[in-house]
Amino acid sequence: MENLPGLSDQQITNDLLPQKFGRRGMLWTAGLIVICCVGAFAYIKQLREGLIVTNMGDYVSWGIYISNFVFFVAVSLVGSLITAIFRLSGVPWRTPLTRIAEIIAVSNITFAALIIVVDMGRPDRIYYLLTHGRIQSPILWDVIVISTYFILSLFLLYITLIPDVRMMISLKDKLGKPFSNLYKWMASFWEGTPAQEKIRDRSITILCITIVPVAFCIHTVTSWLFATTYRPGWDSSNFGAYFVSGAFLVGAGAVVVAMFVFRRVYKLEKYITEFHFDKMGKITVMLALLYLYFNVNEFLVPAFKMKKEEKDYLNGLFTGDYSVMFWFAIMVGMIFPILILVFKKGRKPLPMFIVGVMVVVGAWFKRYLIVTPTLLHPFLPKYDSPARFSHYFPSWEEWAITIGSMAGVLLIITFFVRVFPIISIYKTLEDKNEITKLSEEIDQYENAQA
Amino acid sequence: MKMHRLNKFIIILVFLFGSSVETIDAQDSIVVAPTTLSVKYFLPVNHVPYLEVSTKRKVGRKFEAVKNVTVIIYFNEALPGNLLGKVFTDSVGKARIGLAPSFKNTWDSLNEFKFLAQSGSSAVQEMLSAEITIKKALLTVDTTSVDGVRRVIGELKEKSGNSWVAVKDVDMQLSIKRMLGNLSVGDEANYTSDSTGLSSAEFKKDSIPGNEKGDITLVAKVDDNDTYGTLVVEKTVNWGSAIRPPVDFFAQRTLWSTRFRTPIWLLYVAYSIVIGVWGTIIYLVFQLIKIKKLGTEAG
Repeated sequence: MENLPGLSDQQITNDLLPQKFGRRGMLWTAGLIVICCVGAFAYIKQLREGLIVTNMGDYVSWGIYISNFVFFVAVSLVGSLITAIFRLSGVPWRTPLTRIAEIIAVSNITFAALIIVVDMGRPDRIYYLLTHGRIQSPILWDVIVISTYFILSLFLLYITLIPDVRMMISLKDKLGKPFSNLYKWMASFWEGTPAQEKIRDRSITILCITIVPVAFCIHTVTSWLFATTYRPGWDSSNFGAYFVSGAFLVGAGAVVVAMFVFRRVYKLEKYITEFHFDKMGKITVMLALLYLYFNVNEFLVPAFKMKKEEKDYLNGLFTGDYSVMFWFAIMVGMIFPILILVFKKGRKPLPMFIVGVMVVVGAWFKRYLIVTPTLLHPFLPKYDSPARFSHYFPSWEEWAITIGSMAGVLLIITFFVRVFPIISIYKTLEDKNEITKLSEEIDQYENAQA
Repeated sequence: MKMHRLNKFIIILVFLFGSSVETIDAQDSIVVAPTTLSVKYFLPVNHVPYLEVSTKRKVGRKFEAVKNVTVIIYFNEALPGNLLGKVFTDSVGKARIGLAPSFKNTWDSLNEFKFLAQSGSSAVQEMLSAEITIKKALLTVDTTSVDGVRRVIGELKEKSGNSWVAVKDVDMQLSIKRMLGNLSVGDEANYTSDSTGLSSAEFKKDSIPGNEKGDITLVAKVDDNDTYGTLVVEKTVNWGSAIRPPVDFFAQRTLWSTRFRTPIWLLYVAYSIVIGVWGTIIYLVFQLIKIKKLGTEAG
């Protein structure tokens, strides 16, 4: 941000325009497509043979798919954090981060919706869910809120893109033909008149105000899918806040990782500066502390009481089969990031990137731990069930679909970056003009004082 | 010095106790008794009798079912013409076989009969055999009601010559059939037949829930008797209280009702939120159309 006054409009535009993939970009994209294809193949196999290809059973009826769904929903919350909350609270340094957050939100919520369809087994059940759904069921609330959040996130992404896309239409010679029709379809009507600006600004503000409660709802309702059922580990009134705080943390972690990668790959050091990493580091440490607080609430109180029905479940997490994963998620997902980020040196780009990866990986395992161990420890005694129902490890089809969905998320982001600027050119130029104007006013004031 | 000696004794005792426990454990874990075969006779509601064979063995201190054992069962004598059939024990070491219609005449002509069960022998399994001798018996259940006192009466008779004679001193259960088991009609678990072959119990479960009409099923059972096997008879009486499911249970507007019976407050809250948010989205779409229109005009 502090670098902007020194840059010409031309240079800013050139730096931020989407670029063709180089060799590394092509390899990366090809790799993601291959992983997606393997996932698609596994899904077709699941469609043909049914959910029998998974290792889910009578007890673990929500396996890795639902863990992954909760993870995607959590990451998608970041769109509201960065774009809406930062905008509404007037955070001046938000510009380079907002679009990264928006595309992360859109890509993750898209695959959150898709993974639910995968978990249903037969996709036509979506139709029956809509025609026979009960409004009393949190599952229907989730369907409604996810589709609403998807539309709002897409809308927010689109409306903030319009001026940039209009600019790219005029730069057809430089950008080439590939996407010119798409650009025209999206923003040829934008003339940047004051009346258009006014409506667009107001629309963005309305969107930001709307998206915050919807984003809170999406993750609260997702938590209620668990908390409204009577099972060890889920029977908690803390669950909504616990999920939302965790979602904010993993979302912030994902943005940090994306910031580092885009900065490095597209050489955006002048735009995504150490200042941004420092600020995001402070936000991440605050969110990690908040999530840690909710974790203490979530586990310490039941562990203190150690009710007979929950004993096996809790011991499984603390010292049993899932203890390695549990302590890994706690340490790597929360404690280590806090310890690293409280120091200024820890908030430099590279340590921040490492912390971001730790937070995201820890968060994925945390979601797995929320779903699976609980299902393996039902309140009612297990009776007359095959021994394999007492254990759960995903089948290769489940892994392939899950990893394929993650690759799908990255593929959406990759294609987006190829087609659209990942940092708003229009807003960056606006920021630059504002800073320049402010500097001139300060100079004039100082001269007058002298 | 005394203390030192005492400590020594304690250590020796602990050591000896530990060794003996270990020895017992070791013995328990290695002792596997040979497989045994048993055969039981069942006559449900004086209808077609059946036999149940079971194979088990003692491992340590516990009995363990032996599955997949082939057992051949004969009626009266181990002759090919008397072959009832061949069965295989299941995962709990049991198998059942009914008396085939071809044995009806033999069955009717006899008052006492024998069943023989034999397993084949193999490298890992010796030949097993078991037999059971059963006297033909008839169990009935009836009820009386005198001065408001209701009684359940079980009667056991055995076939002697061409007539049925009362059997005394046989324990039987007089109970009410419930969903997961039987509930004794009186205070005792078993009632013994007297010289007339009758055993009776006062029915004390006056307010026991029955079906929608108040019907309950009374059960008389001679359980695993050495002479008569297991005999069971049932009788339906209208002694229970009629249970009617609340007619308005599913008609209430509750969180667990059908989608057509959603609580009004939930409908208001849910639809208000949905209409509010989607109304905003529709408004924003119109704003976008407006931007487009303004652009076209300016262009």
